[in-house]
Amino acid sequence: MSPTSSSDVLIRKLETISEIREAEIAVLKSIPIQEKDFSANHDLVREGERPVYSFVVLDGLIGSTKYTSEGKRQITSFFVAGDIPDLHGLHLSVMDCNFSTLTPARVGFMRHDVLRSICDQHPRIAAAFWRSTLIDAAMYREWVTNVGRREAYTRMAHILCELIFRLRAVGRIEDHIADIPITQAALGDALGLSTVHVNRMLQELRRDGLIATTGTRMHAIDWPRLTHAGDFDTTYLHQKNPAD
Amino acid sequence: MARFFFDTGDRDLVLLDEIGVECGGLEEVRRVGFEGLIDLTRDALKSVDGQKVFVEVRDENGDKVLRLSLSLQIMLMR
Repeated sequence: MSPTSSSDVLIRKLETISEIREAEIAVLKSIPIQEKDFSANHDLVREGERPVYSFVVLDGLIGSTKYTSEGKRQITSFFVAGDIPDLHGLHLSVMDCNFSTLTPARVGFMRHDVLRSICDQHPRIAAAFWRSTLIDAAMYREWVTNVGRREAYTRMAHILCELIFRLRAVGRIEDHIADIPITQAALGDALGLSTVHVNRMLQELRRDGLIATTGTRMHAIDWPRLTHAGDFDTTYLHQKNPAD
Repeated sequence: MARFFFDTGDRDLVLLDEIGVECGGLEEVRRVGFEGLIDLTRDALKSVDGQKVFVEVRDENGDKVLRLSLSLQIMLMR
């Protein structure tokens, strides 16, 4: 567990995507954050609810999910440390999707009324939050393209690239090795692929020397080739100073 | 629940499943295998007459349990 405070996790993320200064950082530090730990596969927010909090991911992996009327699950995006997946709940009162933990996770809840009054008084923070939800939307666009139009091999490589890139951007990993204790079934729900095909694609990526896996650890051994295989261009992540 | 391994392939390339899938019985093995075959077909089937794609299932002892396959026939009618 990283020793940094939950405010630091939030601030670090906002710094990677926006221009916030000392004054704003002090204000962000004053936001009360209620930390809570959850096991994997826990629904943090459900469709139809009217939350009065938004949460920042402090550790672990969160997925936004939707279910078809037949009960099939589609994971529509991943969220990592520093992200505020349900920030749109600040303005859209009824939640239109679920947010669930995909791995054991720690999240920090922030009251909407507190966030609203901060946004009213600090336009730079309001802009940073706006930017954060805009980038979330860009990730959803990329996700639709990935699931709808890319072949399974490219699709799998792309999602691994995105996860590793985002974990690096917020300082969660130093290299291209990430501990991703996510089930193949969840990967299948994210990619719109059967579990059998998820296994085959991981096997193909290993055979081609792009990744190595040990338990839940995923090592992108050849990052340039993995990004090429995954049709991965970081523009849509809108980082101020991309690490790669 | 037991772990089953779903090897998949066509004529040129067979990939052994090293991860496996937990299934609660043969009916589930069949459903999981069938879903895999659909994805495999979409990905690996080319417009080649006679091409076969298949999913072959092993149990934890390595014994073969089930095989699902599809083959493509292209016939010129004129």
